[in-house]
Amino acid sequence: MTFAVGLNHFLLLGAFLFVCGAVCMATKRNAIGILMGVELVLNAATINFVAYAHYNPIFQVEGQVFALFVIVLAAAEAAIALAIVLNFYNNHTTVDVDTAEELKG
Amino acid sequence: MMNLLLTFGEHPGWFFVVATLLPLLSFVLILLASALWCAGRAYRNTPGGAALFNLCGGEERGRTAAFVATGAIALAFVFSLVGCIRFSAQQHGFETAIKQHGKALHQIAAKIKETSGEAKEQLEAKARTEEEKLEDQEKRWADARKTNWQGHFDWLRISPKGIVDADSGTVLQLGFKIDSLSAIMFVMVTFIATLIHLFSIGYMSDELQPEVEDHQVHTAHGHLHRRGRFGRFFMYLSLFCFSMLNLVLADNLFQVFLSWELVGVCSYLLIGFYNERQSASNAANKAFITNRIGDAGFILGMLILWTHVGTFNMEELFQRVRAPLNDTHGAVEGVAGRIVRGNLDANNTTKAGQRFTIANDGSDVLLFPHRPSAHYHAIVPRVSDNPKPDQHGSMPYWMLVAAGLGIFLGCVGKSAQFPLQVWLPDAMEGPTPVSALIHAATMVAAGVYLVGRCYPLLTYDALLVIAYTGGITLFVAATIAVVMTDIKKVLAYSTVSQLGYMMLSLGVGGWVAGLFHLVTHAFFKALLFLGSGSVIHGCHHEQEMTKMGGLFPKMKITALTMLAGVLAICGIPLFTGWYSKDAILAQAFGFIYVHPQHLLLFLLPLATAGITAFYMSRMWLMTFTGKPRDEHVFDRAHESPWPMTVPLIVLGVCSVGIAWGWPVWDAEASFLEANVHHAQYPAILADFGHIDYSISEHHGEYWIAAKDEAQNERVFAYRNHHLAGNIAFVLVAIGIVFAGAIYWKRVLDPAEAKEQFPRLHAFLMDKWRFDRLYSVIFVRPCLTVGHWFAAFDLRAIDGVIHAVARSAMWVSKWDGLFDHYIIDGAVNLVGNTIYGMGARLRSVQTGFLRSYVLFLVLAAAGIFLALAYFVRMAMAG
Repeated sequence: MTFAVGLNHFLLLGAFLFVCGAVCMATKRNAIGILMGVELVLNAATINFVAYAHYNPIFQVEGQVFALFVIVLAAAEAAIALAIVLNFYNNHTTVDVDTAEELKG
Repeated sequence: MMNLLLTFGEHPGWFFVVATLLPLLSFVLILLASALWCAGRAYRNTPGGAALFNLCGGEERGRTAAFVATGAIALAFVFSLVGCIRFSAQQHGFETAIKQHGKALHQIAAKIKETSGEAKEQLEAKARTEEEKLEDQEKRWADARKTNWQGHFDWLRISPKGIVDADSGTVLQLGFKIDSLSAIMFVMVTFIATLIHLFSIGYMSDELQPEVEDHQVHTAHGHLHRRGRFGRFFMYLSLFCFSMLNLVLADNLFQVFLSWELVGVCSYLLIGFYNERQSASNAANKAFITNRIGDAGFILGMLILWTHVGTFNMEELFQRVRAPLNDTHGAVEGVAGRIVRGNLDANNTTKAGQRFTIANDGSDVLLFPHRPSAHYHAIVPRVSDNPKPDQHGSMPYWMLVAAGLGIFLGCVGKSAQFPLQVWLPDAMEGPTPVSALIHAATMVAAGVYLVGRCYPLLTYDALLVIAYTGGITLFVAATIAVVMTDIKKVLAYSTVSQLGYMMLSLGVGGWVAGLFHLVTHAFFKALLFLGSGSVIHGCHHEQEMTKMGGLFPKMKITALTMLAGVLAICGIPLFTGWYSKDAILAQAFGFIYVHPQHLLLFLLPLATAGITAFYMSRMWLMTFTGKPRDEHVFDRAHESPWPMTVPLIVLGVCSVGIAWGWPVWDAEASFLEANVHHAQYPAILADFGHIDYSISEHHGEYWIAAKDEAQNERVFAYRNHHLAGNIAFVLVAIGIVFAGAIYWKRVLDPAEAKEQFPRLHAFLMDKWRFDRLYSVIFVRPCLTVGHWFAAFDLRAIDGVIHAVARSAMWVSKWDGLFDHYIIDGAVNLVGNTIYGMGARLRSVQTGFLRSYVLFLVLAAAGIFLALAYFVRMAMAG
């Protein structure tokens, strides 16, 4: 029997990536690490868009377009986030996000 | 101005009205000026304020007030004097004419008896013309009195319910009526008041200082210091004079009552002038409350008369109560001028009214028509139930007695008669000029004057009560005066005693004698009081005679003038008291001659004449002769300044000569008495004609004399004037000698007498225990009942109120708890819950980025799960 790769596999991959990204964000204390988690989460979403674009003719164009948007957004986000991290570092001489607790209730 | 003069020319009675209103004007002026002064004082630094301030007296306010008041009363005296002279002149003219005609008639009547035939007819014709002339003169004199010397206007009209009509309802009037008595009273009151005002300017000069120290009032910081009240004193004096003059002026009982109360208020204000002194405040209260008792009687008497007779006008009252004198239509024969008693026959009623049978012991009194009707001929009148002024009516006899006694009760209070005499000695707390004014010219004179005025309303029974009241009063007061050592207290009791003489005299028919004594007494009592004031002033407010003595060389004017007063009150011949007091004794003598059962009414005044001489001499001798009893007082004593001595000298001269007539040594010839006699009511002759000592040829009462049958008794009463006078003089001489022996020559020691009769002395010192008696009978029961009420108030009424308060507090407490726990609790619970939730949620906000991410993821996962669940449900559904 041939092992056919279908939509579900891509969705599972997306989900796996999302969980990895979320866990990375939740556990990492390094701001750069958290940014990497964010990238994982965004990529998980992109995989889902592309998968649906491929397997479902209704979303053929939209999926592709949204994937492109996410990539552009990710790039922009990375630029801004890195700027924030750089400033954070300037203020705290560290990139440990646990030191940023001024918003504590 | 011309019109005003013409008014005075046509209605000379207005002289007296103006004299009455002048003191009122002065009172109002001083009152207004004080108010404006107070208003202006705050602004006296501004030009307008300063003008106002100075206009109202400025810094010299009190002195200005004194000048205004003294000027007003002096002007009133001038007006009174002019009015009195005019009245006397007019009266003298008419009376002389009437007398001449009467004399001619009398002579013709005597001739007619002797002749007969044609000559008799001629004489009878002559007699008729004389009689016509006589009646004409009498009518003209009556008209003149009505138009010139009387006047009134409606003051208040109380219309019946629902009717507004100018002529309906009851009317209270203000009016004036002058006869020779009120004219003399006016002159006397204004004259004495003027002198007292003048005296007060000197006596009260301490009050001119901006700050007065009252040595008799002790406060926590020493003696009391207060502002001087010079102006206020004169304001009160003015009001007092107005009240008294208005009382004399009044032609109706209501107006009398108004003035009566005003006099009471003024006496209250003046007796309590030093109101910071407890004793003065108490004395003022005592005087006022004691007078209230009398006034209650007065009101009752007035109401009885109003109910039965329907008018307050005195002349109308007299006309209705007394039988007409010479009215052929309305007269009931043989009783002219008297109160007619009889019985109403209830079984014999017709349209015209009830039948009235005249009987001397009847239960009813006939009321006569005010305007006699021409249709009425009656010896036995018919009496209608609701008599109109022109109809006969009736009232129960005892009601008339009660009305008379009620009015007399008012006079008992004002004139300090037994049993209401207790206030007068206490009234000595007022400044001495006030005592003089009260005792001489105003307040106590009012009572006697009113009894004299209302004489025709008094029945025989009421008069007997009056006579005995006077008799008891004069004796009791004289005995107390013997032991008093306070110079003013001696004079106070002597006043009470002398007023007793007047009342007694009025009661036994001595209308002229009593009112004559009222006038003469006013002069010498004012003199004595002002003299005592001068002594007190000179001795620096020392009133105890036991600390005086030997003052004669130091104050000669005071001593000599007071001596004149003492001799006058003792009744030494040729002094005023001799004329009037002997007249009273003669009257009493005549009365007991006719009514031997009332012997006491002669013996009491006779004995008291001796006692009076004793205590008055004692007073003078203790004060002015012998060795000084207290060196300290003696050394500082001095004669008073001229404003005080001048009134003394004037009054001293009056006390000697005011009652003189021609010849001076004839007790019957007093000019003043003859003038009082003119005012005598016909009713007195009707009641007491047979014992009126003053009906004599001196007064030329031929025509009345001719009508009276009891001439023998009258002649007796006339002659007994000298007999009674001589007996009294012997007693007076004994009294004076006795006093001289004890207090001048010091042959006898008064201390021994005191030791021999300690209980009598204590009894007299205690004023016959009247104060104690009243304390037991009235004051303490009153206080006891008061305490009961206080206890009731405290327990029952306060208890209820406290219970209500307590229950209200209890309810409030529960309400408070409910408010606190339930309502506030609910509100707080909401707040606390929200606060707690917030506090708990706060821990979620960790500030850690990672935990936020975790929440984000978990929330997203949750949302997805929920969505999945709902989608599943929707697809299944």
